[in-house]
Amino acid sequence: MDEIALRLPSTMTQAEIKLCSLLLQEHFGEIVEKIGVHLIRTGSQPLRVIAHDTGTSLDQVKKALCVLIQHNLVSYQVHKRGVVEYEAQCSRVLRMLRYPRYIYTTKTLYSDTGELIVEELLLNGKLTMSAVVKKVADRLTETMEDGKTMDYAEVSNTFVRLADTHFVQRCPSVPTTENSDPGPPPPAPTLVINEKDMYLVPKLSLIGKGKRRRSSDEDAAGEPKAKRPKHTTDNKEPIPDDGIYWQANLDRFHQHFRDQAIVSAVANRMDQTSSEIVRTMLRMSEITTSSSAPFTQPLSSNEIFRSLPVGYNISKQVLDQYLTLLADDPLEFVGKSGDSGGGMYVINLHKALASLATATLESVVQERFGSRCARIFRLVLQKKHLEQKQVEDFAMIPAKEAKDMLYKMLSENFMSLQEIPKTPDHAPSRTFYLYTVNILSAARMLLHRCYKSIANLIERRQFETKENKRLLEKSQRVEAIIASMQATGAEEAQLQEIEEMITAPERQQLETLKRNVNKLDASEIQVDETIFLLESYH
Amino acid sequence: MAGNKGRGRAAYTFNIEAVGFSKGEKLPDVVLKPPPLFPDTDYKPVPLKTGEGEEYMLALKQELRETMKRMPYFIETPEERQDIERYSKRYMKVYKEEWIPDWRRLPREMMPRNKCKKAGPKPKKAKDAGKGTSLTNTADVLKKIEELEKRDDGEKSDEENEDKEGSKEKSKEGDDDDDDDAAEQEEYDEEEQEEENDYINSYFEDGDDFGADSDDNMDEATY
Repeated sequence: MDEIALRLPSTMTQAEIKLCSLLLQEHFGEIVEKIGVHLIRTGSQPLRVIAHDTGTSLDQVKKALCVLIQHNLVSYQVHKRGVVEYEAQCSRVLRMLRYPRYIYTTKTLYSDTGELIVEELLLNGKLTMSAVVKKVADRLTETMEDGKTMDYAEVSNTFVRLADTHFVQRCPSVPTTENSDPGPPPPAPTLVINEKDMYLVPKLSLIGKGKRRRSSDEDAAGEPKAKRPKHTTDNKEPIPDDGIYWQANLDRFHQHFRDQAIVSAVANRMDQTSSEIVRTMLRMSEITTSSSAPFTQPLSSNEIFRSLPVGYNISKQVLDQYLTLLADDPLEFVGKSGDSGGGMYVINLHKALASLATATLESVVQERFGSRCARIFRLVLQKKHLEQKQVEDFAMIPAKEAKDMLYKMLSENFMSLQEIPKTPDHAPSRTFYLYTVNILSAARMLLHRCYKSIANLIERRQFETKENKRLLEKSQRVEAIIASMQATGAEEAQLQEIEEMITAPERQQLETLKRNVNKLDASEIQVDETIFLLESYH
Repeated sequence: MAGNKGRGRAAYTFNIEAVGFSKGEKLPDVVLKPPPLFPDTDYKPVPLKTGEGEEYMLALKQELRETMKRMPYFIETPEERQDIERYSKRYMKVYKEEWIPDWRRLPREMMPRNKCKKAGPKPKKAKDAGKGTSLTNTADVLKKIEELEKRDDGEKSDEENEDKEGSKEKSKEGDDDDDDDAAEQEEYDEEEQEEENDYINSYFEDGDDFGADSDDNMDEATY
């Protein structure tokens, strides 16, 4: 039964499907979008059925599936009689919204080299380590001043650090055992991953330096002959880590985002020092606690004291006071689990995520319906169940207005109504009507609104761009001409002449468009932040 | 229902004062249309977050969007041919690097068939005839047919002045035997499979042009 339920396609709402469709189309074009959305709607299907149902040529379907599999958006499975079925990973498609955040986070943690490694992995879905190192070294070399190059070894080092901290991981691979058994090979390979190899970097001696991209004739002429053999790694050489593919470990990123959210929440609620203590505790349990665990591993106050960042000068006594304070806080981010080792403490991850989701809900109510509605909302949250009359009294808001607000929040599904009949006939006059906030369902409702908002934002952005398509093309052309003229050393007056091909009103229109697009793009990123908080709470 | 109408009681079974209407007050009209597309909001949205991080992510997002379009994974829809080729189009063209998927990681049916197999009804018949005999026999027949086809194709493309295709074809002919055998084995399996799953086969009965289609794109081993 369960298996059937899991395979039902309708787990995605229309808003989510719409958003997936827009994302696929923007990243991979319309054909991939068509195939991807079809799979999301229908669940898993074999190749030929997909081709038939979407009215797409088999060749196109194959290409699209290859792209989707490469980017980990579709998985396949061999069913009975050797039929291979393809299934879309819907929630993974939505993660494409978060790519900028993953990349930026790596930049803050592992500087530019780390940033480019993760960017290449996200752009390509999966790559071998040697390919990543080569690409990144080339790209970094291009940004460096002439004569300097990026060493492969340096990029490799960063890659190893990313693997050590689990931000990148191996993809399941084709087992290497040569199957000697006769008979036809299976219709699809079974990919396996050995858990202890997940973050194991293959021993590679990648020697070389990044290369600058040049037009071929320049390359041949401009570079000293003696230097060349050092640079070029022969293409025909066997790839040392052939078949070992890597991908960005999105769960690990999410864990990092979650930890950061908790730390900044503690900083806002208490102070910098307590947030630093919580940060230390979270860092200590980064690798030991699975990302879905409700609590971190218990940590003794002695251990925490030893692990505090160097230069953080607080005495053991002060630390203990802080820990007691944190454990006494009604939000219960930190809990005390025992007395040994100077007191054992855990971080209540589930509770923390619930608090963050509730805070998000409160702030949405406040910004949408005003502070008085927020007061009612918090009141009901706190008291769990309240009758209408009680709400009016407790919130100290005139009855008529309070009713208005309650109904508004009820109709927008931020609140729910619980009926408790006094008599079995459910007569309204003999029934209690209790207002309550179901945080889980409200959070889910808000989550779907977020999906819808982002879909709307993308559609609006596409509309704005389409409306100004001709103007955009013109400005691109003019820019290209200017760039090429600059390269050939044209005079200032000539350049200005070209620049004036775009009139003042056109320039203004372009400015407005740019501002609007920026705003829409920034909104997408920030709504996704809310999506992350709401999704983590479940 | 009958009770409500027949006795002339109030239309409500509960005290409407409890929901905030005094007796005799006119109730709001029933809403029969969907809410407006752009409803007025009571409160203005708060401004977006700004800062170094936000700006960097914005730049990253816009850059990624452009980069994705230049990646080999972005499959363009074949555009309708325009009568007049626009001069600017030539400059707008983006050159993508090649992408060869790692076929070992993909189901075998993903591989584009790079051999001329389903060219016409004639070779198909021959294949069917060979089915009854042993595997090696079939393979032999297939090999022969293939060779014939290739010769055929080579001539044809010469005729059509498709030099490029012709030469490609020839270079493929030079492939070592092992490769050929493997490909043949594969092809054989596929036939077998199709017979097993007759219902799937029937999906394509109407799509006559499908076969021709895939033949056209035969050389596109890289996407």
